[in-house]
Amino acid sequence: MHSYRLGAIGIVVTFFVIIFSTVLMPMVLFNPKPNDRSNQYSRIPKNIADAERGRKIYVREGCFYCHTQFTRLQDRGYGPLVKAGDYVWETPHQLGTARTGPDLTNEGGRMASEWQKAHLIQPRAVKPGSIMPSFSYLNERDMNDLVAYLQCLGNRREVHAFVEAPDEYRTTTPAGVALHNRKTVDTNASASANAGRGIYTQNCAVCHGLNGLGEGPNATALEKKPPNFSRPYYKQYSDEFWFYRVSEGVPGTRMPRWIETLTEEQRWYLVAYLKTLPQDSEITINNLNQIDKVEDIRLPKLSNQQYEPHHGGHGGHSEGSGDNMSPSEHQMPGQTTPPATKTPSSTTGTSTESGTSKTDGHGAEHKEGGH
Amino acid sequence: MIGGLEFSMPDLVKNVPQLAFPHLRMFHVNAVTIGWLSMGYVGSVFHMVPTLCKTKLWNERLGNMTMWAWNLVLVGAFCTLLNGNTEGREYAELGAVLDVMVAVALVLVALNIYMTILNRRVKKLYVSLWYFLGSLFWFPLVYIIGQRTFVALPGLNDAIIGWFYGHNILGMWFTTIGVGMMYYLLPRLTQAPLYSHGLSMLGFWGIALFYAPTGTHHILQSPVPEWLKAIAVISSIFLLVPVLTVLTNFFMTMKGRWGMAVTDLPLRFAVTSCMFYLVTCVQGPFQATRWVNWYLHFTQWVVGHAHLALLGTFSFILSSAVYYSLPRLTGREFYSQGLIRAHYWLKFLGFLLMMTSLTIAGLVQSAGWAFNIPVDQWSLQIRPYWFLRGISGIMIVLGQFLFAYNVWKTLYTKPAATAAPAAKAAEVKA
Repeated sequence: MHSYRLGAIGIVVTFFVIIFSTVLMPMVLFNPKPNDRSNQYSRIPKNIADAERGRKIYVREGCFYCHTQFTRLQDRGYGPLVKAGDYVWETPHQLGTARTGPDLTNEGGRMASEWQKAHLIQPRAVKPGSIMPSFSYLNERDMNDLVAYLQCLGNRREVHAFVEAPDEYRTTTPAGVALHNRKTVDTNASASANAGRGIYTQNCAVCHGLNGLGEGPNATALEKKPPNFSRPYYKQYSDEFWFYRVSEGVPGTRMPRWIETLTEEQRWYLVAYLKTLPQDSEITINNLNQIDKVEDIRLPKLSNQQYEPHHGGHGGHSEGSGDNMSPSEHQMPGQTTPPATKTPSSTTGTSTESGTSKTDGHGAEHKEGGH
Repeated sequence: MIGGLEFSMPDLVKNVPQLAFPHLRMFHVNAVTIGWLSMGYVGSVFHMVPTLCKTKLWNERLGNMTMWAWNLVLVGAFCTLLNGNTEGREYAELGAVLDVMVAVALVLVALNIYMTILNRRVKKLYVSLWYFLGSLFWFPLVYIIGQRTFVALPGLNDAIIGWFYGHNILGMWFTTIGVGMMYYLLPRLTQAPLYSHGLSMLGFWGIALFYAPTGTHHILQSPVPEWLKAIAVISSIFLLVPVLTVLTNFFMTMKGRWGMAVTDLPLRFAVTSCMFYLVTCVQGPFQATRWVNWYLHFTQWVVGHAHLALLGTFSFILSSAVYYSLPRLTGREFYSQGLIRAHYWLKFLGFLLMMTSLTIAGLVQSAGWAFNIPVDQWSLQIRPYWFLRGISGIMIVLGQFLFAYNVWKTLYTKPAATAAPAAKAAEVKA
């Protein structure tokens, strides 16, 4: 009888230790704050369609068995990465487990609403080879609400600011025109990105890390740390700017001038790859009022410029030292000036019901190149 | 008592784009977990525990009642899930009423078994009883925590609890009861004593310690806290310890008696199950490591792994238990040995085919994601594998039909107990 009692106590204690460590502890310790990038379903006026009801239909029809809603570091071309705070209002969670279909994290605005609707009714009419079942049995209201929901996904993870390469890399000068005339690589194609991936792995990953997060093995020994390419700032880079950076290196850091070692073609392939690195939906602070204040700690006086993503963040990384841009060029995320977006050549992104123009040119390019 | 053994073993044919696949999928998962495996498990436990304790079941009327409650749940699940009345939580789709019914039934089953064990006539607890005791304590709690019916947690916490439940329905219920059944069946069928009681205890406590925290490895690449991921990965790898202990014990028990598996059909099912258990449990920890997960997650490989565990391991051991216990309960021989053989081969070959096709499909998909190839391009590439999977599904369903038919014929004096599930399986297949 004694051994039995001991065992029973053992079973109970083990179980509660585990419940404590994996159920209670995350509930207490893991409380991500809601951020302003989570899906906002009230965006679409209720008299057009009800996105919140659309979410219920998404759940009811079991879309999450085949579609996930979180981007991973290695998912190039699926838009910005997600943060824990994005999911605070999402319950039941629709993270999903299997990707029999594409990821839908940043689906909003990627396709026109008419396209989405046609795709729900007969997927193979708009996407030959799709194995998605037809949802033609949904009634008009359900269908509209579901589309409204899809159009709300991820549309607040946007890139705002914009930077330019030096003149000799742009078509404003004869040198730039000549450069572009010599260019044979399609920097928007998946194939080019895959070619660039090999070049990146061989040459860049030692410092920049496999996923471009700036955590390669060499990075520990560098005084000026390599940047984290998943930061939204880098998604503003034009092809020319990437090409300029890769070619000329960053003065004052260990970033070499790759013009010495790589051919022009190889560097363009690299650009194609670098553009497909995922984006972290990091919150960049525009203004000191947005910081959570701790009363008894006196914050040092900071100018906007010091908080600007070029200069701040990542341990004084390589970016700021080389370029001589005036402060006026440093536009802040969240600033009221309308962002000068790289409008993707395809127009599908702009014809949604509510007239959203998706500023994530990156995602749109993917669609163009692939789907 | 026998009524707890019920059969609905649906398998989905996914080679053609199917009307409302997600609804079928919901029902498939719930019918397999709640319907086939859980009911079969409880039925077997109701047989094994009294045998091991050399006493009668504490309350047989309660046992029958839980059986009917459970069947009612399954009918309810059939009606609701196929119409899309779901909570939208994977593995926990059932609505609030059904949730409560399952939980109550589980608690009553646990009560029944605990009272039986308290009234036992043998002093020492056999290792199977340890497993049953543990599972019946853990699982009702895991089930109640995991359903989250009446709470709305923030998204990621919902996911953490969801996968705590999603993995522990395997770890604290299917695995522990299944392994307990293996401990019961192998020595019985081979007429040999268990190789080592000490090893079996090590295996039991190993599973108890390391299984429960592994759930987070399903969301290893989502923004949940790193420490939770670390716990999940480490305990997933540690799981190799109890698994190998348990299997060493089984294989040493089988030593010198492997030949018996050729002639003894229930034993053949049990040994096949052990083999698949080895494969699934070596595969599992590797998949849970970050870099393998990086490549393989989200693909059909994982689906193959899930089928390896539920179909290859636990469904086989359950069939073995039924083939073993039914003649002893009814005092009749099985209607047809040939049908058992046919069941075995259809299920075995069907499953091998399914596993192979899913695994290859998973690798194709992984490559697709790793090289950033759009989904609609590789989805055509894996169509042949889905077709194969469809064929294998038909084979397995056919095997299960033969099984159901065989059981029904064996107890034709009580046709009510099995006629309904056979019809259910037919509907699911259609």
